[in-house]
Amino acid sequence: MRRTAFIVALLIFVSSPAFAADDPMARAAKLLGKRYYSEAASVLKPKLRTIKPNRRGTAHLTLGMIYLRSAELHRELYRTSASVQLDYLKKLAASRLRSRSRFVDLYYGEALIEVGKYKKAEASLSRFIADERTNEKHRAIANASLGLGYYLGGDEKKAKALWKGLQGKDPEVASSLAAAYSRAGLTDRNPRALAEESLAAQKKKRRRPSLRLLKGIIAVYAKEGLTDKGLSLVSRASLDKYSYREVIRRNKVINFYDLSLLRDLSKLYLQASIASLKKAAADAKLKDTANYYLSEAYALVGNPKQSAEVTASFIAASKMPPQFRDRALARQAANNYQMGRKTEAVGMWDKLSKKQPEDPELLAEIILACGRLRVNCSKVIRKAAVSAEKGEGKRYFPLNIALGRYYYGKKDYSRTITFLEAGRDKGNKNKIESNDPVALVDLAEAYYQSKQFSEALEIYFEMSKHFPEVRQIQEAMQGIYSIEQKSAGDVKIF
Amino acid sequence: MNRKLLVLLLTLGMISAVSFSADAGSKRDGRPDGGTLSYGEYGRPATLDPVTSNEMISLRLTELIFNGLVGINEKQEIVPELAKSWKISDRGRTYTFFLRKNVTWHQKEGAGEAKLFTAGDVVFTHKIMMHPRTITPLKVRYEFIASVTKIDDYTVKFTLKRPILNALAKFSFKIIPSHGPSNRHFLTREDPFAQSPIGTGPYILKNVTADREIILVANDNYFKGRPHIDKFVAKPFADQNIMTQALMFNAIDMIVLVNPRDIPEIQGDKRYVLQPYNALSYSFFGYNMRNPLLRDKRVRKAFTYAVNRKEMLASFFNRQGTIISGPFAPGSWAYNLAVKPFRFNPEKAMALLKEAGFTKGSDGIMAKGGKKLSLTLKVPIEKESEAVKRVVLAFKNYLKNIGVAIKVEFKEWQSWKEDVFLEHDFDIIFASWVFDDSADISSLFHSAEIGSWKNNFGGYSNPKVDSLIVESKLTLDHEKRRTINRKLHALLADEAPYTFLWTLTNYAAYHKKIRHVAIHPYKYFSFADDWFIPSGSQK
Repeated sequence: MRRTAFIVALLIFVSSPAFAADDPMARAAKLLGKRYYSEAASVLKPKLRTIKPNRRGTAHLTLGMIYLRSAELHRELYRTSASVQLDYLKKLAASRLRSRSRFVDLYYGEALIEVGKYKKAEASLSRFIADERTNEKHRAIANASLGLGYYLGGDEKKAKALWKGLQGKDPEVASSLAAAYSRAGLTDRNPRALAEESLAAQKKKRRRPSLRLLKGIIAVYAKEGLTDKGLSLVSRASLDKYSYREVIRRNKVINFYDLSLLRDLSKLYLQASIASLKKAAADAKLKDTANYYLSEAYALVGNPKQSAEVTASFIAASKMPPQFRDRALARQAANNYQMGRKTEAVGMWDKLSKKQPEDPELLAEIILACGRLRVNCSKVIRKAAVSAEKGEGKRYFPLNIALGRYYYGKKDYSRTITFLEAGRDKGNKNKIESNDPVALVDLAEAYYQSKQFSEALEIYFEMSKHFPEVRQIQEAMQGIYSIEQKSAGDVKIF
Repeated sequence: MNRKLLVLLLTLGMISAVSFSADAGSKRDGRPDGGTLSYGEYGRPATLDPVTSNEMISLRLTELIFNGLVGINEKQEIVPELAKSWKISDRGRTYTFFLRKNVTWHQKEGAGEAKLFTAGDVVFTHKIMMHPRTITPLKVRYEFIASVTKIDDYTVKFTLKRPILNALAKFSFKIIPSHGPSNRHFLTREDPFAQSPIGTGPYILKNVTADREIILVANDNYFKGRPHIDKFVAKPFADQNIMTQALMFNAIDMIVLVNPRDIPEIQGDKRYVLQPYNALSYSFFGYNMRNPLLRDKRVRKAFTYAVNRKEMLASFFNRQGTIISGPFAPGSWAYNLAVKPFRFNPEKAMALLKEAGFTKGSDGIMAKGGKKLSLTLKVPIEKESEAVKRVVLAFKNYLKNIGVAIKVEFKEWQSWKEDVFLEHDFDIIFASWVFDDSADISSLFHSAEIGSWKNNFGGYSNPKVDSLIVESKLTLDHEKRRTINRKLHALLADEAPYTFLWTLTNYAAYHKKIRHVAIHPYKYFSFADDWFIPSGSQK
């Protein structure tokens, strides 16, 4: 959004006294402006200690923003991946071919646990476990997941009994078990110790840890708030790698991916964001700005109370331009709504939406809040739709995007496409430098749901250049497309 | 599809019996009829019939003039067109189509009574399409059909050599009338029918003007109901900039493919809608393996390493596209995501040429056995937009840097096609392919597709590629087909029969007065009979 761009410009300015082409803060701020979040973090994070104390607050603020945007993006990627992976795995699982995949039962089962369908997950995982061709290692991994399904489904006893019999000798098994214990919140076996043992065992073997092994460890680190350790692992991993490659026949090979990885990445980034923004807020000059973003981070983590506290502090003390104050008021209304003061919240949104001169970004903020909280803000939506239709230029892009995302939440994909397309910089339609990647992810899913697969795949093709972890979405989407497409096989010269 | 499922289908007799609510006459959907839609095209079509055509301009027009037995709607569902229903039997080997009885062929002015469409026309279309002397790229796609039998005037049965994936979709090929072509046995571009076609579709070809504008008028008797817009006019433009200006000054209402450089200007104008439609397309430099110097893959790979695609895309297309690594578009399901494009590396290019036995002569040109790497690049004149000119000249310069002399020849579209597809008289060409969703590359690289007017114009032949293509056609397993296509991608990227360049951003632009616009990503005008112009905005 434009205001993020404003802050980024501010950060570059603030970092400019010692400005040099290789100044890590300036470089990171520029990369953040281009939405190259991983690159931005990798430029700044290792240099934090070398930055002079009087500029360290700005560095923490920059890093906090980088991680916040990254967390928001990965949360959206996780949501899309859950939807696409489930569609794809369901189709694979339904195959009646003799060369049907066996591992689909493991991965479909795990994906079903992710979305809370424990009974179905049990059936799928049990099929995999019962298959006599399944080796001990994979059977143990499946049992770790099956136990988690039991536990989350309310059968703690059954889960514990199942887990008790599992040996963690194999690093991937140990890591899966650690992730299951951690997710269940149990300490009978120390998840952290299990995870680190599995990593050490793999190192001993002088093998690069597989993504399946990393997934488990990252899950533990994310749950236990071991943010730096988690991020360090992530920065060294090839996130586009499959979790398992099943070679069924010479010419039938299927790659499987871990859905939960995206969720845990989002968690790690959000924790890192909050930690960095808190450090930035300790600097009196940056307190307001840091609080502004902290309120967003707390809201994203699902903590309206803490979000309300820092938002109130920002509103009371802010020397930022008035638009930021209005936006904070809209955000505070969202916090109030979540804390049960619904009428007050809706009243505030109505009042803010009537402010003149009209501020499309303020309207966008309100609509995004309505979308996030699933509130039917019909009055504001009507007004915003009229404004978006009349409004000209890039100033109205955020409003169109907010409307698109609102309808995306309502699964009205036709309107999602209309508005998100209106807010898209068509001159650079898939470039994340020109388009908010979160909006592109929602647009891609709207196209996917409308069976316009190639539009969605093109978005991810570009995004994969900076976020290789989207490979899991790309491969699943390609799989669905290959099944769903119904064309004659035509090709023409142009 | 496994055996049990096929038996189930057989048992159920899978009959679809959807029919259209509207018969001939108005669509009765409350939307107004009338108005003219003029659209800008990149050139004029060589042929207007759906059998001999092999380019996009013709394809768009034939979509307005003809119908298939089945169609594919926006939701990727197969829907009835000339067939009102069908039955699949014999374990997916027999397709019986029950035809609509109220469909008439377009009636030309002064001709007698309009003729009825019947099963005879379906049999005729298949027969003429598969005749050895008919020049068409369709044969390879329909080799799976063993026979076609007319059961009665409104029932036709296709027997397949074997069950295939997505067989029903293949019956979307356009049906032509048995009374159409003057030669009833085979069809060539010289047949008057190729320029004056008769179809069953929503629009009738009225005439082609002296300016080569193609005028189509609404078919009042269209079986899905008369299309809303009275007249479609296809206007050819050789220059993309002029086409955009024509849109901005209201001389045309629609551009089928916007020049990437003009996107910001059109997006900034609220009179127009910019609509993405993701045709699976890419541009390439294709090599002629009949030239012994180009038969060595090291030479072809050297050319690819020598070309800075990133720089060209940035300089000539404002970065509005994506560099590709192989024979599929990145939006396709078949693209191998693990294969990365070769990085620009002129040193590696030189090394490859040396490894292939080339040495630089006193004139700076690489030579081997007395033969110089001095090659002809042929470019169709319709593609002579500024950007394309720059691309081919940049290519020439890149190759000059590694000691390869390129002579660029711009040829008129028809003459270029004859040189490339008929005479095979070229060393290198610049062109683009556009694919439908099936991403079928078999006609491009299978050795059986070498010959006159066939798509393997470069004469590329590789038994491994042939074998993978055949295996992918025979399988009924989607995942197996995906694996094979990924292998083909990796193999062809390494073999470099083309220098695969990029896929560009595809946008159509149209005036907001045109409503209810849905664009088919490949065929474009598939849903145009539902488009309309409000009465107050009609010209």
